[in-house]
Amino acid sequence: MTYKFLPDVALADIAFEAESNTVNGLFESCAMALTDIMVDQKTLRGRMTKEISLKSDALDRLLYDFLTELIVMKDVESLLFSEFHVEVSGAGSELAAVAKGEPIDRVRHALRNDVKAVTMHMFGVWEERGKWKATVVVDI
Amino acid sequence: MLPNKRSGLGVAHIDSIKQVSDVSWEIPTTYKQGMLVPAKIYATRKLLDAMDSGVIEQVTNVACLPGIVRQSYAMADAHWGYGFPIGGVAAFDLEKGVISPGGIGFDINCGMRLIRTNLRFSEVKPKVKELVDLIFRLVPAGVGVKGFLRVSDSQFDEIMKYGVKWCAENGQAWEDDPSHVEEGGFIKGADPSKVSRQARSRGIQQLGTLGSGNHYLEIQVVDQSRFFDKDLAKHFGITDPEQVVVMVHCGSRGFGHQIGSDYLRIFDGAMRKYGLSVRDRELACAPFSSKEGKDYYGAMVCAANMAFTNRQIIVQQVRDAFSKVFHRDAEAMDMHLIYDVCHNVAKVERHSYDGKSADLLVHRKGATRSFGPGHPDIPAPYRDIGQPVIIGGSMETGSYLLLGTQKAMEDTFGSTAHGSGRTMSRTAAKREVRGAELQRKMQERGIYVKAATMDGLAEEAGMAYKDISEVVDTMDRAGISKKVVALRPVGNIKG
Repeated sequence: MTYKFLPDVALADIAFEAESNTVNGLFESCAMALTDIMVDQKTLRGRMTKEISLKSDALDRLLYDFLTELIVMKDVESLLFSEFHVEVSGAGSELAAVAKGEPIDRVRHALRNDVKAVTMHMFGVWEERGKWKATVVVDI
Repeated sequence: MLPNKRSGLGVAHIDSIKQVSDVSWEIPTTYKQGMLVPAKIYATRKLLDAMDSGVIEQVTNVACLPGIVRQSYAMADAHWGYGFPIGGVAAFDLEKGVISPGGIGFDINCGMRLIRTNLRFSEVKPKVKELVDLIFRLVPAGVGVKGFLRVSDSQFDEIMKYGVKWCAENGQAWEDDPSHVEEGGFIKGADPSKVSRQARSRGIQQLGTLGSGNHYLEIQVVDQSRFFDKDLAKHFGITDPEQVVVMVHCGSRGFGHQIGSDYLRIFDGAMRKYGLSVRDRELACAPFSSKEGKDYYGAMVCAANMAFTNRQIIVQQVRDAFSKVFHRDAEAMDMHLIYDVCHNVAKVERHSYDGKSADLLVHRKGATRSFGPGHPDIPAPYRDIGQPVIIGGSMETGSYLLLGTQKAMEDTFGSTAHGSGRTMSRTAAKREVRGAELQRKMQERGIYVKAATMDGLAEEAGMAYKDISEVVDTMDRAGISKKVVALRPVGNIKG
């Protein structure tokens, strides 16, 4: 499970590429990268657990919806997460995830950028030589 | 090559680009297969050479969209965006044309608002820190912030439909505020039933919040050395070369972004249904006359009206802060709204072009309406001089107040630039300067800054942006907006 930021892709925003041996790991990597943009994960504690269930018509849309759901929870419930366990099933059409995190604490958390949306620019999920990869650009 | 890599255009690289004037260029339809109209770029030679190559790719992609009328435009501040360039303008036929979320931007009705005061800088200077610190508390900024204003679902419906008019009826605006906002404070045609549950739940808690990214709230002073037209400035109540004003730059927050995300997904499917194909997934669009097109328009207008309301609530907080610090009523300090402009929106407007007059859907993404003198949509106090145009610079460089012109009506469907435009990525800016160091340097130059995060501050450093004066001069020389006065920052709140 790993990700790296791509500094030259979006001038005003932030892009990353994630990879993993499994689809589940890929989704978890993307979620961790998203969190990393918003907060220093070391300052977060996994005090609360949230379950997320989603259905979609394609694997890339499922990832888009999953990341969007995390952004919505940040705005609506003020929650940020530091641990993710994701299971994708139904040939990439269904997701069940457990996320551990806590409400935003402006004193204790080292907050960074406020991510507002996942864009479709360069957005993609693919398998390459036994690895699952994704490119994501988020709007800041 | 990555789409926005700063290769520098180098005019020589595009054989077919034609210089129209010293500040405008045209790319003919022969440049790219599928272009229905030429593309026009406003830039000096210097700005054009520095413009990222993504702008050329994108302004010509937009020229391929069905129903586009006359020309696809890139303003002098243009830089690469999602689908359309930021600084892009395109008008579409209402029957044959499309609507595209990529032509509006995720932050629907991101815009600028300017209020005046009758305070002189000598009076405000000792209080700048106190003012900025208080406003920072009253106008929440940063990751996942919520506003102080609590509204019910039904009130939020009213806000989506009536924007600043709702504010005026609910004690959140002065009597003359709505008439000093583009479209009178709300755009007609909002349809809250087309807004998703997720968007609603994000938006309802964010009224009166500044957000983050490039959004800011600034205490500014008239720049004596760039007070271009004192007679015209009087119409805005700006008479003193030491006068203090307040500028707000923000939009519809997560609400508009969620509507953008929702409809990007819907349009991705709708394009197959209507047999549309585009060169970039972010250019997803639907016929304006289709169900999907109408639904998006209804939802987009809700976000536009929410953004007007958001800026209004923020201004109320700013008026409160000044009252507390100076122990005077905001009215006594003449804290009236000069104007509020959208720079991410699509609207149905009547325009004359090619010898005819028609209603068109004008997309402005990172572009400002610039209606000329006499236009009925300009509020009465300004109707004889043209619509106020507010152009925000980077934190360090200052901003401008301009006026719309008749030439903009003739040349660009009444549009001009919106800001300075980024030239450096966030990561690169952070490599160049640390937030704390930038804060100290700005303070040495007389600008007190308070930021939600130091990383965010570094990312918005002035060096990451184009020279705003060059951008503004280009638009002024092109005749599509007229310089009135420059405003320099003395206090800044960075989201």
